[in-house]
Amino acid sequence: MQSRKLGWLLLAPTLIVLFLFGVVPFVYVVYVSFHDWNPFAANPDMVFSGANNFRRAVFDAGFLASLGVTVAFVFFAVLSELVIGYALAQAFMKDFPGKAFFRTIHTLPLIMAPIIVGSIWKLMTTPSIGIIPSLLDSWFGYDMNIGQSAATAFVITVIMDIWHWTPLVTLTLIAALVSLPPDPFEQAQIDGANKRQIFWHITLPMIAPAVVATVFIRLMDALRTVDEVLMLTGGGPGSATRYVGVHIFKEVFPRTNYGYGSAVSVIVLYLTIVVCWLLYVSMLAPRNSKKG
Amino acid sequence: MGYSGKFGASVLALAIAAGGAFAQDLQIGNGDWWQQAGAPFKGVTLRGVTESTPASNFVSDVLAPKFEELTGIRVDVETTSWDQMYDKAIKDMEAGTGIYDMIYIEQDIVYAYMARNFLVDLTTALKDKPALKAANYDEANFTTFANNFRGAEDGNLYGTPMEAFIKVYLYRTDLFGNADVRAAFKEKTGRDLEPAKTHAEYAEIAQFFTQWGKDHDEDLWGTTAQAHTGHPASWYEYFESIAPTFGVYDWGIDAANNYAATVENGGRMNSDEAKEAMKWWLSMRDIAPPESVQSTWTEVATTFAAGRAAQGLVYGENAAWIASDETKSRVVGNVGVALPPLQDGVMADAESGKGYIGYYDGGAFGLPVTSKNQDAALLFLQFMALPEVQEEWAAAASRVTLSSTYDTPKVQALDAELGGYYSMIRDQGRLFKGAPEYPFHAQLREATAPIFYDILTGAIAPDEGLDRMAAKAEEELTSLGYRK
Repeated sequence: MQSRKLGWLLLAPTLIVLFLFGVVPFVYVVYVSFHDWNPFAANPDMVFSGANNFRRAVFDAGFLASLGVTVAFVFFAVLSELVIGYALAQAFMKDFPGKAFFRTIHTLPLIMAPIIVGSIWKLMTTPSIGIIPSLLDSWFGYDMNIGQSAATAFVITVIMDIWHWTPLVTLTLIAALVSLPPDPFEQAQIDGANKRQIFWHITLPMIAPAVVATVFIRLMDALRTVDEVLMLTGGGPGSATRYVGVHIFKEVFPRTNYGYGSAVSVIVLYLTIVVCWLLYVSMLAPRNSKKG
Repeated sequence: MGYSGKFGASVLALAIAAGGAFAQDLQIGNGDWWQQAGAPFKGVTLRGVTESTPASNFVSDVLAPKFEELTGIRVDVETTSWDQMYDKAIKDMEAGTGIYDMIYIEQDIVYAYMARNFLVDLTTALKDKPALKAANYDEANFTTFANNFRGAEDGNLYGTPMEAFIKVYLYRTDLFGNADVRAAFKEKTGRDLEPAKTHAEYAEIAQFFTQWGKDHDEDLWGTTAQAHTGHPASWYEYFESIAPTFGVYDWGIDAANNYAATVENGGRMNSDEAKEAMKWWLSMRDIAPPESVQSTWTEVATTFAAGRAAQGLVYGENAAWIASDETKSRVVGNVGVALPPLQDGVMADAESGKGYIGYYDGGAFGLPVTSKNQDAALLFLQFMALPEVQEEWAAAASRVTLSSTYDTPKVQALDAELGGYYSMIRDQGRLFKGAPEYPFHAQLREATAPIFYDILTGAIAPDEGLDRMAAKAEEELTSLGYRK
């Protein structure tokens, strides 16, 4: 009994912090989402509006468009990070000269703040002064301008995200690969399995929990991308890179549309949970049920 | 520009840099009074938040240390981006946390802050506390720009003006004065190359120089354009600097007519003049340097300073360093200023007070009612408005908030170097105007900006886009409760 009390006592600071900075703000956002509230409106007070903000969001072309480009962004960015991250993880599993150096260099983007990443990519992509348009022009005669071309801006934001976050995927997958027992691989080789068969039938199923966890983390991060994109494109050209995080930022902060912005935030949170749940069900649940 | 000219410009730049960079160079009168007035607050730290601009950097780098040296009151000024500054200040005042003792109030947001009673009435506060009133501080010293920060009903001051400048038409005097260029221009157009007075002339000059850059394989274009396709800076360039020169004032919204924006209801946001202005501006954007579609307010100045544009509309806060700082600018000594090109009738509107010819930008430092160090902050706000600190500040950041500053030696020297920029503010500043007196700037801008950006990318035609923007503006104003 004494040790149980001590356990709660030791846990209390963490629980209090979680409650104050996690639960309370979340409940408050849900509360605000049921109100009309813009402090710079003629009536600056909060006015209860039921589910109006949610109804408005469902028919808001701007929000739906931002959701569409976000899905495309998340799909291309996370998938690329997974593929490249796995390839790099496999490469780092082998010994080669300068491995420690390359491994350190490769993780450097991870320690950069998103706003810095956005600034760096802005410098690299600004027409006339950026190294990327300059090289593309001199090598291929390609006139790149992310302020003009929606497709280019979208691709650059995806590449920027890949550059920033692939190291996280690599590190996670290295940890997973290192922990794999050698026996199943040796047995498969003795049985004459080729590399593709080993990957699909042994490696992937065994690192699946790590892959799913990594995808969850990256998915949630990518869905709330704001800083880098805001710095790089401002959400433009037009609305080409106005991802849902940028859309919410613009609704809540400059426009001070607190009620509607909160409703959209709640919807995005709900969608994130649904997507993660679907992923979990499709990738891990069958495996767990087989075990059961 | 000859060797002697460059040498002179360098000396001037060095003198300005040396003069503006060190707090110990400022000589403050009544030092004993400041020491006594600050004594009760010794050890207090005042916190301010402001946009990172030349004028604000002078506050944090020069004025704050000098004030601390005199009074013992520490001043921490956080210089950040424009949107972050608003975000932080508004959240602090809205939540009543009292983190900030001073906030930068750009002229376009002061009406919203006053409507929400966020700010301390400085006139009354100093009247109620005569012990805190500095002898050299006098509201009468301010230029008329201070009126932007006065309450509509009481006429009292709600912010200490610290930044005031006009968005001017800058042009390259070395190009406009070059004999070969002038001859080529005359041959092509049949007229002399002079700063444009009309939009047609401006366009002709812009097209000429863009073609000149191509023909001579130079990185030179005919005009700047603040035309970012995802940043509000482009929205402001159109509504505050371009549309007024076509006779569309106050964003095309008629506040006296139930905040009408559409022509149908009496507004002018989608008027023929507004549409003509948009098409003209887009045509200029198309022959501006390629970075223009990613340029905000600062990048336009950088483009001009890099010598990549022959002419352009540039925020005056950048004029001094463009004209005199050789470490940042390639066009030192080669900068001229002129009034923006105008449509017929706009100057007459400006002279009569019915309209204006361009943007008079600026800001003040305000004291939030939520501040926990109001008395100490009142001292610093007066310190910022002392005549003794103005000369260095004006030379460092091309801003003038006190009438007496125009007559100081450094400002007069820089005025000559800049082709009369400071004289223009003094003599013709009345023709320019700040943002309209609306309490819903950011709200209206953000509601209409997505359509505006689509116009810039060509996703929507200008005419249709402005029609949709005007309708959206009315919808937003109705939703906010301003339009009945």
